[in-house]
Formats: sequence, C-alpha cells, structure tokens
Amino acid sequence: MSDSVIEIRNLSKVYRDFWGRAKVRALNSLSLDVKRGEVFGLLGPNGSGKTTTLKLLLGLLFPTEGQVRILGEPAHDVEKNERIGYLPEESYLYRFLNADETLDFYGKLFKMTKAERRERRDALIKRVGLEHARRRQLKEYSKGMTRRIGLAQALINDPELVLLDEPTSGLDPLGTADMKEMIRELKNEGKTVVMCSHLLADVQDVCDRIAILFRGELKVIGSVQELLEAKEETQLVTSSLDDATIREVESVLEKHGANLKSFSHPTSTLEELFLRTVKESEARPGRRFEPGERPSATTES
Amino acid sequence: MAVEPPTFQLGLALLYWLAAFTSCCVMGLLVGFVASLASYGRNGPRVFRSTLARGFQDLVKVSWQRCQALASLTFKEATSRKAFLIGFLFILLFMFGGWFLSESNVEKPAMPYITFVMSAIYFLLNIMALLIACWGLPADIKARSLHTVVTKPVRRSEIVLGRMMGYSAVVLIVLAVTSIFGYFWIQRQVPERAKDQLIARVPVYGEIRFLSRSGQPAKSLTNVGDLWDYRTYVEGLTQARAIWEFDSLNVSELRKQGYVRLEQSFEAFRTFKGDVSDQVRYRITLLNPESGLRVPMPESYDVNEFSEDPEASVVIIPEELTYVESYDVDAEEKTVNLFDDVFDGNSLTVEIACIENEQYLGVARGDLFIRMPDRPFYVSYIKSIAGLGMMLILVVGLGTTASCFLKGPVSTFLTGSLIVLGNIFYEFVKDIYSQKVVQGRVLGGGMFESMYRLVTQMNMQSPLPDNVGTDIIKFLDERVFNLLFVVNAVIPNFTYFNTNQYTANGFDVPWMGALVPSFLITIGYLIPLIILGYFSLQLRELESK
Ligand SMILES: Nc1ncnc2c1ncn2[C@@H]1O[C@H](COP(=O)(O)OP(=O)(O)OP(=O)(O)O)[C@@H](O)[C@H]1O
Ligand SMILES: [Mg+2]
Repeated sequence: MSDSVIEIRNLSKVYRDFWGRAKVRALNSLSLDVKRGEVFGLLGPNGSGKTTTLKLLLGLLFPTEGQVRILGEPAHDVEKNERIGYLPEESYLYRFLNADETLDFYGKLFKMTKAERRERRDALIKRVGLEHARRRQLKEYSKGMTRRIGLAQALINDPELVLLDEPTSGLDPLGTADMKEMIRELKNEGKTVVMCSHLLADVQDVCDRIAILFRGELKVIGSVQELLEAKEETQLVTSSLDDATIREVESVLEKHGANLKSFSHPTSTLEELFLRTVKESEARPGRRFEPGERPSATTES
Repeated sequence: MAVEPPTFQLGLALLYWLAAFTSCCVMGLLVGFVASLASYGRNGPRVFRSTLARGFQDLVKVSWQRCQALASLTFKEATSRKAFLIGFLFILLFMFGGWFLSESNVEKPAMPYITFVMSAIYFLLNIMALLIACWGLPADIKARSLHTVVTKPVRRSEIVLGRMMGYSAVVLIVLAVTSIFGYFWIQRQVPERAKDQLIARVPVYGEIRFLSRSGQPAKSLTNVGDLWDYRTYVEGLTQARAIWEFDSLNVSELRKQGYVRLEQSFEAFRTFKGDVSDQVRYRITLLNPESGLRVPMPESYDVNEFSEDPEASVVIIPEELTYVESYDVDAEEKTVNLFDDVFDGNSLTVEIACIENEQYLGVARGDLFIRMPDRPFYVSYIKSIAGLGMMLILVVGLGTTASCFLKGPVSTFLTGSLIVLGNIFYEFVKDIYSQKVVQGRVLGGGMFESMYRLVTQMNMQSPLPDNVGTDIIKFLDERVFNLLFVVNAVIPNFTYFNTNQYTANGFDVPWMGALVPSFLITIGYLIPLIILGYFSLQLRELESK
C-alpha cells in the first residue's frame, strides 16, 4: 500500500446550473497528495474551493476533470467510508434527534453492535463535553454544541482518515483548544487528518503540512516548518516570567548582540504568509504552484 | 346482486410483468448508454459498465441493519413533522361526519356508513402517504443532512429502501389506528335494524365453458344481437349447455354446512312474445368428469329474473342426492353423496340446460356462483384495509422514487397524477381496447380522427372520405392507440386496490380477485421503483440546485 492516503490529480470542478450552463469554476487542475499519518491543512480565502475539494474526495460531487483516490479507492466507493470520518462545514445532522440518538444512528450505519454503540457513544460524548446535553434535541443546540456533536459523529467509527471542514468554527476558546488537542491525539494514534480552516493560528499549531488555495488553484504547498523557517527571528515561549527574570534574559541576549523585540504571546506568522500569498495571487493571477518548484519561491519577492 | 371479481391470471400477469420489466430495463440501459457517451465521450462505455456493475452490487449487497436504521430515522422524521396528526384529523372528521349520513340509502342502510369510513381512510391516507413520501428526501438533501449519511458506508439503495420502509411503517400505523376507530364507529352508527347487513357473503366463482347446440365444445353460443356481448345464449331444448367448473372449494366448510348453495342471475331471452310472467326454465346436472358420473337434479328451476325476492334465484343442493338417470317412468332411483361422489376432489362441475323450446337462457361467467357460509363483517373489512395498505405502500414507493430525482412539489404532482391516472386510465383504455378487438374499430376513431370529425362537424357513424388524408389520420391514430396501450401497461392499475365495493355491499373480499393481485402489483412495481430510485440517487450530486 502506498503511503499516500489521498491522491488528487488534475482535479477541476465546474458548478453548473439546472440547464447545464457553467456558473463557477470552483477548482482548477488541483494536484496534491496527503501522506499517511500527517495532519494536512487546506487553507484559502472564502470561496477558494476547500469545501469543494473535500466533497469531491467524498463523492458528494462529481469531478469535471481529473481523478481522486482516497485510501486507494475511487471517491464513489462505499466500502472505503468504513475507514473515514467526515465533519461537514456545518454539522448537517438530524435536528429531531438528540445527541445519544444521533450517535446511535450513525453507529448503526457502521453495523456496530448495540454494546459497541453504547460504549463508543458514551466515550465520545464525554470527549466532546456534551454530557449535560445528551438528551436534548439537536435543534436546541447552540452552534458550538452542534459542532461538538458533529465531531463526535465523525469519530464514531474510529476512522483512520478524518476530514474536518473548519473544525473550530463556532467553538469557544476552550473548545478550540480541545479540538486542537483532539487533532493531536488523532495524529498520535497514527490517524491522518485533513482540515480546512481560516484560523491560521490553529492550523499552524497542529498541521504538519499545508496547502493554500486561491480561486480554486493551488498557490502554496509544503510543511509548515519549511514554509516559515525563512524568518530571521527566534521565538521563545516560556512559562510566565516575572520582571526581574525578563530583565535578566534581556541582559543575556544583549551580551550575544540580540535584542528582545517582544515578550507577548507568539504572533501567527502563518497569517503573514497567508495574507502575502493571497495579495500576490490577486496581483498576479495565473501564477501557481507547480510540482518541483520550491514552495517558498512564491513567497519570496 | 353480486360483485364479480375480475379474472386475474397469475401466469399471464407474471409474463406481462417480465415483458414490461425487461423492456423498461432495455430502454433504461439504452438511455444510460447514450447519456454516458454524451457526457464521457470515449470513456463512456467504461463508465457505463462500471456504473452498472456498481449498481448491481449496491442492489444485491443491501444491508438489512442499515435499512432498518434508515427506516427508523425516517419514522422519527415523520413523527417530528407531525404526520400522525392526520389520525386526529380523521377522528375529528368522524365526530361530525355521522350527522350528515343518516338514512341516505333506504335499501341498504348500512352501506353509506361503510363507504364513508372506507373512503375517508382512502383519501386521507393517500394524501398523507403522498406528502410524506414526496417531501422527505428532498428536504434531507436540501438540509444536507444526507451528506453526513452518504459519507458513511451506506449504499444509496439502502437509503431508498430505508425511506420506503419508514414511510410505509408510518402510513400503516395510521391506517391501523384509523381503521380500528372506523370499525367501531361503523358498529355504533349503523342502525339496529340494519346490523344484519354487516356481513361478508362469500361467492365463489367458477370458470365457464360451453357446448354448442349440437353438443360440441364451443367458445361461445348464440349471439342474440346485443352489442355488448357480456352474455352468451343457451338455446332451449338443444344440446347447448353452459358448464361451470368451481375449483379450490373449501369442502370441509361445505360439509359442515351440509349443502351447496348456488345462486344465479341468468337472463331469459324470449324469441316469441308470450306472457312475461311465464317463466323460462332451466335444468341443472352435476358432473364428475373424473368418474363420469352425471347427476341430473330432479326438478327444473325458473329463471325468475324479475323477482324481488333474493331467495328466488337460489338453488340448494343437498348432501344426499336422489336421482333417476333418465326420465323413463320405470327408471331406477339412485342415491349418491354430493361431497364423496359428485365432487372431484375439491371441485364441482355444474351443467345448465335451457328446457324451453325456442327460448334462450343468457349466461355469463358471473351468473352462477356458489355461496359459501357467510363470514363475519370484520373479515371483509380487514381485507379491504389490507388492500388499501398495499396501495399506500405503492404510493409511498412511487413518491419516494420520484423524490430521488425531483423536488418535493414536482414529485407530489407527478405521483398524484399517477394515482389519478391509475384509477381511471385503465378503464378508459380497456374500453378502447375492447371496442377495437370486438368491433374492429373504435366509435368516432382515435385522437386525430375525432379531431377531424370535430372540426368538420361530421357525425361519429359516417365513414371518412377515401383518400390519402384518411390514411394518414388512421396511421397516426394507430400509433396513438399503441402508445396508450404501452402507457397503460406501465401505469399501475389502482382499481384493484379499492375493494370498498365488496365490503360495502356485504361481500367478502376475494383473495384471487383482489388481494393477491394487489399484493403482486405492489411487489411488481416496487422492484423497478427501487432500481430507478437507486440510480437516480446514485447518479446525481447531492447538492440542491
Ligand atoms: N452548490 C454550489 N453551486 C454553485 N456554486 C458553488 C456551490 N458550492 C460552492 N460553489 C462555488 O464554488 C466556489 C468554491 O466554494 P467552496 O465552498 O469550495 O469554498 P470554500 O473554500 O469552502 O469557502 P469557505 O471558506 O467560505 O467555506 C465558490 O465560488 C462558490 O460560490
Ligand atoms: Mg468551505
């Protein structure tokens, strides 16, 4: 088995209206691979084709051109879904079910036994922190709660590949931290995670590799480290320091000819990369990432 | 009066189904192939083949557990959409409905109550089935909750099946509740003096064949010039005979009763004017084709076609039969047992002769039947409800399938039209067909001919001018007729399902005449519907446009 969990080749998608007239070219000749065991971030401004890519991977949409393989199978294969978990952009769940019923229902779709379902359900509800609301219908849920149950649903089958479409949208800071923790746990368990997001801090924290899409085209791809290492800066993150210690650190730095620029929380440098990529792409449409090209080349200018 | 069930020939029906199914499949395959060529070009055949292979797998490898899960989801969905309120609506209708029904039918006081209950259930539940089945899936697609389902290892065939099962369960539960309510309502409302009409009479019809006036087997007998040749005529004092064979009789039930009760509704046709009150008489002979035994009944019987008394047309055949083989004075009397000697297994053969010189006896298949012991009213009621239940399942099937590729309103309209057509179209086409076959032409012609006649104000009888125009009109009409017959073969014949007439008139609902056909029709349509629904769902993007 190859170590690519997802292979996308020249994937294009044109949305058409009822009469078959082309409306939007949402994806244009996208090619990328996701390796087994990595956390892959799909970035891009609104409408850049992230969700479209995921839907094509899952066979919810049919490609206009190109192919995808996911877990070595074509997108329309049903049986591969046994090993996939998917959290849609908004948790599209049945509003008349409560949390227990929801997880039970999806468990049944995986042909789990009653005992398995109960065990899995209880563990997941605990994991996403919904124990207090497990008997309430989803239509009464807040956005963040819906998100949590959505994530639980995506993990019901203990999937080996998890596709998360904006997992942290609508979550409170605590929830966001939980989510990131969970993604890390999944990675530690050897699972592959693909996530879309705008929240670059999150992506930077958890992703091994990222791709940035702009208007359906791939602009940047590479490992987070690689993409950001060009920076002539070093960030120190320590446990909370008192003023005296900070002065001491300053003096040590001075001795080595460096000066302390800031001692606040780390800024998300990925944000800079992202903004730069988007601006550049807007200024010079048509240029895009070609395989073989060094990823940072696009970012240098 | 008896409600004669239409004949339903199982083998023939199966053959028809196979033919229709195969041709639909072939057409579907052709359309699919052309479509795949059009959209995938050179890759078309490959895509077509793999789609078919996948479809086959998805239809064969259906998981019962997943279907059940989806069905119970559907059930909960319908509950959350307050589908069960229909039941309350029904009960409300009844609290007031009774006021308007009093004594509208003098002859059969119980009938309006039964008819009211059954038609109320019929309409309400049909509408309910139509609405829930047609709107569910499109709503699911629109809310994208289906996205979360299809990204699980769920086959789309399971979605179609699960939906159909869930809706059927909803509809059947409402049906059960309303019909139990309706049953007690009937029992309460029907006036005391008419309670004896709440009964299920059980006529058993046989197959009819004929002997000509010279005693040879014949397809039919004398035609007395009726346009509508429902009956054929047995000529008096010739060797012409009408022979009924009653099969699959429940002999033990008859033995317990101790006799066989025949009822007839023959017509007398008089060739010379006489006194109308002078009866035309007929004679009955019982045959056992296996042993060759012939038992002429000692008496002859009057046709009594104008009698008001229902018992005037009844012939009771006792278990102990004493008869003489010929009408010689010194012929020896013999005694046989009806069930042991005359019955051939569980079938009875009855031969009818007219014994009035130059008079005729009009007979048709439904003119002679065996009345089995009556059954309680609820037997017929439950069977009618069961027939209705099968219709509802079919409606659910049609609606669900339509909603796999159409939006709610459109699929409601389509399914609704099919139900209406299925109720009237069949009779309409049958009429045209019988005119064509029996008379060789349809009065007033087909679509184009009648348009021509309408425009030129030509009357229906006068022949068309002999020219090329007429030939073209005839040619086109022929195609339209063929199209009608094809459409007729495809649209479900809903008339089978509506067995209210039996129940309301105090008859049992016959198995072969109504329930078995309903069941087979339902199954026969569900199979292609599931296939069609599956492919429509499989081949579309689940993105609401
Ligand atoms: N069902 C649809 N019909 C027509 N166009 C669509 C449809 N879905 C998406 N699009 C278009 O495709 C493009 C890409 O949309 P997509 O949802 O993939 O973006 P996205 O990257 O997920 O954006 P966001 O960050 O807002 O979620 C957009 O221009 C959008 O308008
Ligand atoms: Mg999106």
